[in-house]
Amino acid sequence: MTEKNEAFFEIQNLTVEYHSGNAIIHAVNDVSLSLSQGETLGLVGETGAGKTTIARAILRILPEHSVESVSGKVMFEGKDILEMNARDLHDLRGRDISMIFQDPMTALNPVKTVISQIAEGYKLHHGCPQAEANERAIKMLEMVGIGANRAYEYPHQFSGGMKQRVVIALALACSPKLLLADEPTTALDVTIQAQVLDLIKDLRDELGTAMILITHDLGVVADICDKVAVIYAGRIIESGTKEDVFDHPAHPYTQGLFAALPDLEKEVERLSPIEGLPPDPSVIRKGCDFMERCPHRCDRCTSFDNNMVELSTGHFSRCYRTGNEEA
Amino acid sequence: MAALLEVRNLKKYFKSPGGTVHAVDDVSFEIEEGKTVGLVGESGCGKSTLGRTLIHLNESTEGTIVYKGKDVTHLNKKEMVAFRREVQMIFQDPFSSLDPRQTVSDIIKEPMLLSKSMSKAKVEERTEELMDTVGVEKRLRMSYPHELDGGRRQRVGIARALALNPKFIVCDEPVSALDVSIQAQILNLLMDLQEQMGLTYLFITHDMSVVKHISNQICVMYLGQMVEKCDRNELFAHPTHPYTRALLSAIPTTDIHAKKERILLKGEIKSPIDPGEECRFCSRCIYAKEECKKAQSLTEISPGHFVACCRAKELTDT
Repeated sequence: MTEKNEAFFEIQNLTVEYHSGNAIIHAVNDVSLSLSQGETLGLVGETGAGKTTIARAILRILPEHSVESVSGKVMFEGKDILEMNARDLHDLRGRDISMIFQDPMTALNPVKTVISQIAEGYKLHHGCPQAEANERAIKMLEMVGIGANRAYEYPHQFSGGMKQRVVIALALACSPKLLLADEPTTALDVTIQAQVLDLIKDLRDELGTAMILITHDLGVVADICDKVAVIYAGRIIESGTKEDVFDHPAHPYTQGLFAALPDLEKEVERLSPIEGLPPDPSVIRKGCDFMERCPHRCDRCTSFDNNMVELSTGHFSRCYRTGNEEA
Repeated sequence: MAALLEVRNLKKYFKSPGGTVHAVDDVSFEIEEGKTVGLVGESGCGKSTLGRTLIHLNESTEGTIVYKGKDVTHLNKKEMVAFRREVQMIFQDPFSSLDPRQTVSDIIKEPMLLSKSMSKAKVEERTEELMDTVGVEKRLRMSYPHELDGGRRQRVGIARALALNPKFIVCDEPVSALDVSIQAQILNLLMDLQEQMGLTYLFITHDMSVVKHISNQICVMYLGQMVEKCDRNELFAHPTHPYTRALLSAIPTTDIHAKKERILLKGEIKSPIDPGEECRFCSRCIYAKEECKKAQSLTEISPGHFVACCRAKELTDT
């Protein structure tokens, strides 16, 4: 047994570039993060920030035809996933690391029963007889609150929330050590979202699974995560524990995100949007990525070296102002 | 103030192979001029169908719609043209609600050209004015929708809706497809426009914090029926219907220190196909009793606060 608190999963300087026409899209820039066993990290950011690309790079399921280059390291239990051969990768996917996809409507195979889809991975990874795999599948379905009597039904016979439960059962069937959940509740209604989040929390605690939860919803992060990384234009611009980031948001972008949300508790006349739009990912910029939209920008931002500033132990922000004026 | 729009016992049923879908079932409400009524509920509860039926994108099955004191439930072609000039719609998905083969200026011009009420030069002038009003840069006049980001596309959709100076706009989840930072821009724009032009909105959304921000009155729908209807502040201060309570408690908040009692609903929304007489929420309701298995109707429990639950009086005390 290795040390429990050691980072068993670590991404070092991950950079992913796509090509699109003649342009190179810098989707993920120099992203590093780490995770201990049983820990949940929330990866927050807007559309196009590079969240899903990171998750797909971890499992090496990026769309091959459009990837220009992937560099950096994805270390899982001492091995670099990006260097793994096909056989090891095959063993890793679904057994050690598995993924919940955003859209439960398209993540399932429409022509196979749900039991056979869940049993498939288990049988493959454990080399067990079909009957044993089926038994496991039924156990998983019951765990997510779907009765055994519905095991032989097809995905179209389930509602959206039920399908997402099936997808969760599928992802957890082999008791993975790390679960990548890509917007697992975005397609669901709030009352169903609450059910599914509770389910994910319970299963995570029961099985001791570490998790990276990708979302754009800060409320979901507040509910379920231990650590938070905020990503903007392919770069992590703030990271820390949930308390660090929610109680003392340091980067102007993080502060802007919180300010832009309509608040149920407070009465405000006007919302404070973040003016402007995220930068063009095909252009290499000098200085800070958020500069153009930042209310605090000044001359120093254009020459900012984009290094993280540590505010307190484990709380980082990629803005030179933090630590200088505000700490 | 007089109601601009009044809806009485509106029903919209669809025929399906499995039976009759009760998409909107006996809904009544009114909207005052210059105000915003928020319509909330989960997917499939009939919000959009109601919005579309109001402006004759669907024809109602039963009930009456009164606009400016005139019954507009059934209109002939000529009346419809006049009616459509005054009521417009902003759609949820700015990606599919704009014609991909039209330029931004063509999209905004189209309603004006169709109405044949303006000269060519006037139309050009008005188009520029509208782009200015909604904050779309003039250089984008000849751009196609795919060249724009989601926020700008939604602005173009808003400009098109405003082209004929409407009085009443149905906003069907206009910010659901947008990121939070952009969502705030569009919400501010809609509120500014309302103030400047005295617009009246029916604002359809599933996001409770958005609806609280923008509405004066809020209607909560469940499975085709209205279960609670009252002033915005009253709803958040005294949510009464068990469904409203569950809905409010399920919203994830960004306050990590708040200890919130969450009401977890069991099961899922019933099928809207021939739902029967009894309370449509009672199979998921934590307060349900034997007496609840009957039809519920909206009852006023305090001035202006209507709830469709036979146990509402008891629940207000808890």
